[in-house]
Amino acid sequence: MNDSLFGSATRKNIIYFVIVGFCFILILQLFSMQILEHPEYAVKSEENSIKPVYQTAPRGVFYDRNGNILVGNKPSFTIRITPADYNNRLDKYIEPVIGVNPGFISKLLKENSSYSKYIPIKIKKDADFKIIAWYEENASNLPGVDYVIETQRDYSFGVSGSHMFGYTKEIGIDLLRQKKKEYDMGDNIGYSGLEKTYEKFLKGIKGIRYIIVNAQQKTIGSYNNGINDKSAIKGYDLILSIDKNAQEVAEKSFEGKRGALVALDPNNGEILAFVSSPQFDLSDFATVTSTEVWNRLNNDPDKPLFNRATMSIYSPGSTYKLLAATAALEEGIITPDYKITCQGGFQFGDRFFKCLHVHGTVNVITAIEKSCNTFFYQLILKIGLKKWAEYSHKFGFGMKTGVDIPEESKGLVPDEEYYDKIFGKGRFPKGILVSLGIGQGELSVTPIQLAQYAAIFASYGKTAKPHFVKGLIKSVTHEFIPITPEYFDVGVSKKTFDIVREGMYDVVNRAGTATNIRLPNIEIAGKTGTAQNPHGKEHSIFIGFAPFNNPKIAIAVVVENAGYGSTAAAPIARDVIKAYLEGNSKKVNENETYRQLLSNLIINKN
Amino acid sequence: MKVSYKLQDKFDLVIFIPVIFLVIIGLMAIFSATYNQSLASGNFQKQLIAAVFSVLILLIVYFLPPVSLRELALPSYLLSIFFLIVVLVLGRTVYGSKSWLNFGPLGFQPSEFAKVGVVLFMSHWLTNKKDDINNVKDIGVALLIGFLPVALILLEPDMGTAIVFVIITISILFWSGISLFAMFVVLSPAIVIFASLLGTFFFILSLAFVVICLVFFKRDLFNSITIFVANLASSYFFSYIYKILKPHQQKRIETFLNPNADPLGSGYNAIQAKVAIGSGGIFGKGYLQGNQTQLRFIPEQWTDFIYCVIGEEFGFIGSIVIIILFLILFLRLLKLASNAKDKYHALIIIGVLSIIFSHFAINIGMNVGVTPVIGLPLPFLSYGGSSLMVNMILIGIVLNIYRNRKMYT
Repeated sequence: MNDSLFGSATRKNIIYFVIVGFCFILILQLFSMQILEHPEYAVKSEENSIKPVYQTAPRGVFYDRNGNILVGNKPSFTIRITPADYNNRLDKYIEPVIGVNPGFISKLLKENSSYSKYIPIKIKKDADFKIIAWYEENASNLPGVDYVIETQRDYSFGVSGSHMFGYTKEIGIDLLRQKKKEYDMGDNIGYSGLEKTYEKFLKGIKGIRYIIVNAQQKTIGSYNNGINDKSAIKGYDLILSIDKNAQEVAEKSFEGKRGALVALDPNNGEILAFVSSPQFDLSDFATVTSTEVWNRLNNDPDKPLFNRATMSIYSPGSTYKLLAATAALEEGIITPDYKITCQGGFQFGDRFFKCLHVHGTVNVITAIEKSCNTFFYQLILKIGLKKWAEYSHKFGFGMKTGVDIPEESKGLVPDEEYYDKIFGKGRFPKGILVSLGIGQGELSVTPIQLAQYAAIFASYGKTAKPHFVKGLIKSVTHEFIPITPEYFDVGVSKKTFDIVREGMYDVVNRAGTATNIRLPNIEIAGKTGTAQNPHGKEHSIFIGFAPFNNPKIAIAVVVENAGYGSTAAAPIARDVIKAYLEGNSKKVNENETYRQLLSNLIINKN
Repeated sequence: MKVSYKLQDKFDLVIFIPVIFLVIIGLMAIFSATYNQSLASGNFQKQLIAAVFSVLILLIVYFLPPVSLRELALPSYLLSIFFLIVVLVLGRTVYGSKSWLNFGPLGFQPSEFAKVGVVLFMSHWLTNKKDDINNVKDIGVALLIGFLPVALILLEPDMGTAIVFVIITISILFWSGISLFAMFVVLSPAIVIFASLLGTFFFILSLAFVVICLVFFKRDLFNSITIFVANLASSYFFSYIYKILKPHQQKRIETFLNPNADPLGSGYNAIQAKVAIGSGGIFGKGYLQGNQTQLRFIPEQWTDFIYCVIGEEFGFIGSIVIIILFLILFLRLLKLASNAKDKYHALIIIGVLSIIFSHFAINIGMNVGVTPVIGLPLPFLSYGGSSLMVNMILIGIVLNIYRNRKMYT
C-alpha cells in the first residue's frame, strides 16, 4: 500500500470536488427546470392529465310557417367501443346482441384503426332498450364498451319531406380530414337538403367536459369541479315557409305516383309545399344506414333518392305557351286583337304539326284557354329563337332558381348558340322552332322552375327566389333571425301580364282545359300541359295560382306518365291550393306576435 | 447541553439526522406515490415496517464489537458470491432481471447485500497486504474481488447495480493510493466502452486518447501495447454482452443516449419525470396534489422515480432540501474517512460513500435528465426493503467505526 498516496489531501479534494460539483450540476438543472422552464412544464403537465370530452349538441329542429314541428329530435342510445380498453374476445358476445354479423366489430375497429385507440367508436346507434338493459347487467364483464345518450332525428310529425329536409350521415373519413377542426369522428353532418344547406346553423356547438385522466386514459374525475365545462348548445331551429297542412295534402296526393309538386307564395318566394315522389323514409338515415337499405334505395327503378322537384327535367309542354304569349305581347309582335284560324294543325314545309282540336278563330287569350297549338306554332316563328330564349332566361329557365337546398338542375333552354353547335352556324331547321312553341323539343325545365314561373304570372313579375327558410331561431336567446329573400322583377308590363293572366283564368273558369278543378269560392288560374315523353305515356303538368285577384299561392305539379294535365296534375294542384287557403284555421298573423309566439312555442316543445 | 455533546461523541448525529430525515421524507413520498393506487396500496405499510426494522438493524450493527468488522469481511464476501450464484439459478425474474430470491413471503436482492461484502472484503484485503498497491498482480486481485460480483450481476442482468460495483471498486482503489497510471489502466476500458456506445467516431477518438495517455506515461512498448489491446478487447467484450442483452435492456442503453428517441416507450419515464419535476415550480403543487404523481403518469414511481414525487409536490425547495441532506451526509463521510486512524475503516467509509453517492448521482441525475435512465433506487427514499436495509447497515457500520474511532491511535 502506498502510504504517501493513501487518502491524501489531493485525493480527498478530488472526491470533494466530484461530490460538490455533481450536486451543483443537479441544483442548476433543478433551477432551470423548476424556475426557468416551469411554465412550459406546467402546460405539459396539464395537457397530460386534462382531457376534453365532447358532447354532441342536439341539432336545430324544423318548424313550419305556423310553428308546427316538422322534424324534431329524440334521445337514442349509442353503444360504443374504446379500442384501447377492449378485448376482441368479447365480439362473440356482443355481436348477436346488437344484431350484426360475426366479424362486424373487428372490421369496424380495423377501419378506424388510424385514429387514437382512446377515442370511442360507435358500433350501434339507436340501440333498443333491451340492448341497454343487457349491457347494464353485464357491464363489469365488458371493458371498453359503454353507451351514450345522443339525440337523433325524429320524423314522426306526419310529413315526410324527405327531399327538402334531407338527411344527416356520420361524417366520412375524407370529409373529416378537411373539416377536422369542426368535426370529430362519429359526428353527424348534413348530407343533403336543408340539413346540408343550413348545416352550420343546425349543428349547434358541442359541449366540452374536462375530465382528469391518468396515464392509461382512465377517468379519475372532473377537472376543476366542472367550472371550465361548457354544456352543448343546441343548433338554430329553422322556421320553414312550408305549410304543414298543404304539405300533408300534397304528399297524400302523390301516394303511388311519380312526379313532383312545388307550391310557392308568389309574393315572396316562400315554398309552401314541396314533394318529390316517390319519397324515402328519412328515419332509415336517422341511425347508421345499413348497406341493404342504401342498395335498395339506389337500385329502385323509381329512383326515390332523386329529387324530382329540383333535379328532374321535363318538357314543360303547353304550360310554356304562356311564355311565348308574354314575349310576343311585350315585344309588340302581336296585339290582343291578333287572331288566327285553327283548322286542326299547321303546315310548315313538308311537315304538318297537329293541334288537338279544330279551334277556329283564336286570339291569344283563347289560344291559352284552349291550349291551341296552331296559334303558338305560328307565333314562335314570329318571335324568333333569340327573343324566345331571352324571355325564357328572364323567367328563370335554363338556370338554377337558387333554392336553398343543394340539389338542383339547370334544365335547358336551347338558344341559337346551342343549335349552332349541333347543326352548324345558322343552319338549324325551323321545324325545331315550331315544336319549341308548344314547349316540346330540347327545352327542359324542372318543377321548381315551373313553380317560379307560375309565381311570376301571379305577382306580375315581382317575386322572390324560391326558398324554404323564413328564418332561424337562436336556441339560447330564442331570438328570431329572419332571412331576407332575394327579390327580382322580370320587367314585363302589367298590361301584358293582364292579358296572359286572363287566358289563365279562362283555363279554369271558362271553357278551358282545366275547368274540372274549378272551386266555388276560390278563383284559380292556371295552365295545363302534357309533356311528350319518349319513354312512355305523357307527363301530366299543371301550373297555376290562386286566388286570382290576390294570389297567395302559385303552384307547379308534374305527374309522370299520367296523361293530360287536367286529369292528374290539375286536381292535385287544386287540393293543395284549397288546403293552403282554407284548411288552416290556426294560421298566425306574422306581423304581430310571430316572433314571440315562436319563442314560447320552442320553450314549450323542448 | 452536556448530554447531547456526550451523545455526539459516541454517536455521529451529523450522519444519523440527515439519514432519518431522508427516510421520513421517503416514507411520505411513497405514501403519496401509492395513494390512489390499488395495486401498490400495501407498499407504504411494507416500507414503514422495513424502516422501523432497518433502524433496529442499524442499532445492532452500531453496537457490534469493533473486531467483528474484520472478522466478517471474508465470510460476508463469500456469502455474497454464493447468493449471487444462487440467484442466477433459483432467482425470480422481475422486469427482465433475475435478481430476486424468495424465502416464503420475504424476498431480497443478493446484489444489494453483496455491496456490504465487497466493501468489507476489498478494504480488508487492501489494508492487510504488505506490498505497494501499484503492481499488476495486486491490482489484478483487487479488481477480481470487485469484478467477480460485477460479472455475476451482469448475468442477471442488472446493468445499474453492476455500474455501482465498478464505482465502488474504483473508489476504494483510488483512496488506497493507486498510481495515476494504474488508475488510467483501470479506467480506460470504461471510457472506451462508453465511447463505443456513442458511435464509431467517439470510439476511435477514445482509442486515440488512450494512445496519447500511453505516450504521456512513457511506459515500455510491450506494456503500452498490452494495455491498448486490453482496451480493444474490453470494448469487444462489451459489445458481445450488449448483443446478449434482452431488447428492452438494449433499449435502455439507447434511451440513455437519447431519451427523446422513444417518447412513448423507454424514454417515456424520463420525459414524464422531467415534466413532473419541472411542473412543480418553486413551491410545488402541494403534498398529494401532484397530478403527474397522483394520476400515475410514471409507472412504479415509488421505486426509481420517487424523487419526482418530491420535485412535483414540494417544488424547487423540496428538491434542494433532499440534495442538501445528501450533501451533508457525503461531506461528513468524506471527513470521517480522512480522519479515520485506521486505513481499513477509512476504506470502508469510502466504500459506503461511493455506494450511496453513485446511487444518488445516477438516480437523481436520471430524474432530472442529466444521466441515463438506469434503474437504481435512491438511497433511504425509494421503496424497497433490501435497499433500505443495506443502506442502514452501511450507515450502522460507519456509526460503529465512529463509536470506536478512539481505539485506534
